[in-house]
Amino acid sequence: MPRPMTFKANSVIYFRGDVSDRIYILKSGRVSLNSTDIETGQEIHDYIQTGEFFGVKSALGKYPREENAVVLSDASVLMFTVPEFEHIVSQNTRIIMKMLKVFSNQLRRMHAKVSALLAEDAQVDPESGLFNIGQYYLGKKRYEQALYAFRRYLTYYPSGRLHARANELAQKAEQFLQQYGAGKGPNIEGVEAASPAESAKPEAGRQLSDAAKEFYAAVSTFSQQKYAEALRSFKQIADTSSDEEYRIKALFEMGRCFSSLGQHDACIKHFTGLIQRYPKIPELPDALYYVGQSYQEKGDTQRAQSFYQKIMSMPGVGEALMRKVRRAIKAGGG
Amino acid sequence: MNLEAFERFAVGYQPGEIIFCEYEPGDAFYLIQQGRVQISKIMGDIEKTVDVLQPGEIFGEMAILEEAPRSATAIAVERVKCLEFNRENFEILMRGNPAIALKLLKLFTKRIYDQRRRFMILTLDDTQARVADVFLMLNELRGQPEDETDERVFFTTQEDVAHWAGLSTEETRHVLNHFVSQRRLEVEKDRIILKNINEFVRFVNSRRKQ
Repeated sequence: MPRPMTFKANSVIYFRGDVSDRIYILKSGRVSLNSTDIETGQEIHDYIQTGEFFGVKSALGKYPREENAVVLSDASVLMFTVPEFEHIVSQNTRIIMKMLKVFSNQLRRMHAKVSALLAEDAQVDPESGLFNIGQYYLGKKRYEQALYAFRRYLTYYPSGRLHARANELAQKAEQFLQQYGAGKGPNIEGVEAASPAESAKPEAGRQLSDAAKEFYAAVSTFSQQKYAEALRSFKQIADTSSDEEYRIKALFEMGRCFSSLGQHDACIKHFTGLIQRYPKIPELPDALYYVGQSYQEKGDTQRAQSFYQKIMSMPGVGEALMRKVRRAIKAGGG
Repeated sequence: MNLEAFERFAVGYQPGEIIFCEYEPGDAFYLIQQGRVQISKIMGDIEKTVDVLQPGEIFGEMAILEEAPRSATAIAVERVKCLEFNRENFEILMRGNPAIALKLLKLFTKRIYDQRRRFMILTLDDTQARVADVFLMLNELRGQPEDETDERVFFTTQEDVAHWAGLSTEETRHVLNHFVSQRRLEVEKDRIILKNINEFVRFVNSRRKQ
């Protein structure tokens, strides 16, 4: 049986992190769900309305509470266990429908946030994605599945870029399915033949070269915040290593050391030199960011902003860096 | 669960038959009545099985929100019978069968939690912290361990870690190498061994905005 309970102002009904199968309805008084915004770390307050359920998601999903349920003014609530809750809402599916809508909205918002952070992932448009799947199955000689994907492609994209090719491959798939059957038949030109999953091999387990070992030892020193010592080690590698890859990596890391040591002029000079010598290094946007930061630290906001803007205009910059840059632009009032 | 009234929504599939395919627009979701369904994603040249679902389970439920492209492919493992629901008959189903509605509600709570957890990983700026947090998430997914030691073994690939961390395989490898050089991790052919889970918890917490 649902149990009526009363709570005094300033008491807490449940705490973030609690695991519990209790679900509540607010009957009177004021209750706030206080949580932390994942992105900004800011505190969020959601006020529960009279008659509203709370604690539903974590109880049904059996995961820890994500918020503190704080009583603002003396409150009376009705407490349910999960089976009691299930029983009562089964009598009134309108409640479930309403919750489904709320949850699906939350899920959609969360999805959108996740996809925004995975911008580089989202580059496969559904059209090529669908076509690629057909090709994948064709390469694996799974003709039936390939046929399905190509037919879907032809249905959804009747004037698509790959229409002619999809049509051709669909016919091939159909022909091979009848002629040879699944898993058999010759390879088709232009379609990747089935190959073992090459890229799945772990590489970190492989023996590291001496240059790599030295380099990672220095990286480790850096992450222990011993910047001066790390700087010496990176300089040693940059000056003497026979492995060009690690020489350049070390040069880049030296710049980060200068930055962490607060040696802004040295940092600017170092990265500028590095960029001139190796304009094509993959860390270029990061290098520009450190230069911008150094100018910022020196009080030259204008120069700093021009470096940040430059990064914004570059293609293929990682999302983590982009966010730092956006923040820096905002902080600089740009 | 009384589903006789829904017999008109039943659809059948042969073994190996695709129910829906990644990237095609979705407008229906399914309740399995008979047979198992494999959910997979093709990444490059590899087909990854995300899940294998049993009778009684629901899949494709995102389609009741919007007609977004499917995020994975569903293939019948054996002879499969499903009930197919779209937005039109969905409300009828909910009214006539609260048990399914409740099931869907629970599924959504889990999806929200998973997405939220994923989002927490992605908001970390520090790539090392992101990779570390992927291991914390994988550890949470398996629930409470029987023994309370610090070491954890994950049967996961670097590509998986990269996927969850939202990083390139290259970047991920770099971070893993770094952890290996610090002896915080061991990377083997089919597994990654984390030496001290609690140390990773502290590390990630120190990198998260408070």
